Amino acid sequence: MSDKNVKNIFVNGAIAPAFIADSIARHSTKTAIGGHSIFMGQVRKDEIDGRLVSAIEYTAFEELVLENMHKIREAIFDKYPINCMHVYHSLGTIKTGEICLFVFTSSAHRKPAIDACTEVVERLKAELPIWGKEIFEDETYQWKVNS
Amino acid sequence: MEIEIISFGKISEFISNQRIIVDGVNDTDGLKTHLEATFPLLSGTKYKFALNKTIVQGNSQITHNDIVAIMPPFSGG
Repeated sequence: MSDKNVKNIFVNGAIAPAFIADSIARHSTKTAIGGHSIFMGQVRKDEIDGRLVSAIEYTAFEELVLENMHKIREAIFDKYPINCMHVYHSLGTIKTGEICLFVFTSSAHRKPAIDACTEVVERLKAELPIWGKEIFEDETYQWKVNS
Repeated sequence: MEIEIISFGKISEFISNQRIIVDGVNDTDGLKTHLEATFPLLSGTKYKFALNKTIVQGNSQITHNDIVAIMPPFSGG
């Protein structure tokens, strides 16, 4: 079940590993849960035409992201018997090695959590109006293209 | 009529957020033609419109004071 409130998924800057650990800890009281599935997106030090990525700068059409994420959330809760779902996406400049995306699903049994988590990651990459600018070590940049 | 255009990603590098006057344009197909003539770099680019925060699928009517977002392919996650 999900509530009617549109959740804010944005985090300014990188998502701290401690934040992820806290999220896990906060679920220990939800004793109907038997499995969590977690996906973390980390900024990769890609090499493109001899230049190395040092960071990605994320911008977004924020209101539309929140609306679309709400619709994805409702659809996922309808489709899978999950107890909980949390999604966080960074805005601003995130350095290589830092976490820019955190998706966390929980259910009584493992399969719905794993399947829901995978589907959320694929859908958000396709449907949320968020853009990444890959900034290279020499301070040039190019706009990220999702595959 | 006057509308507001907002842009994102690489499109924001050559189109800034602004109000524009569009005469003889009353739908998104017409707006596409108008914008590509005004901003030639747009015609080489893939993009979608959002009309007042709803992504446009087919041709849609535009009215005075609408907000049109010009969005290149998403690259979040």
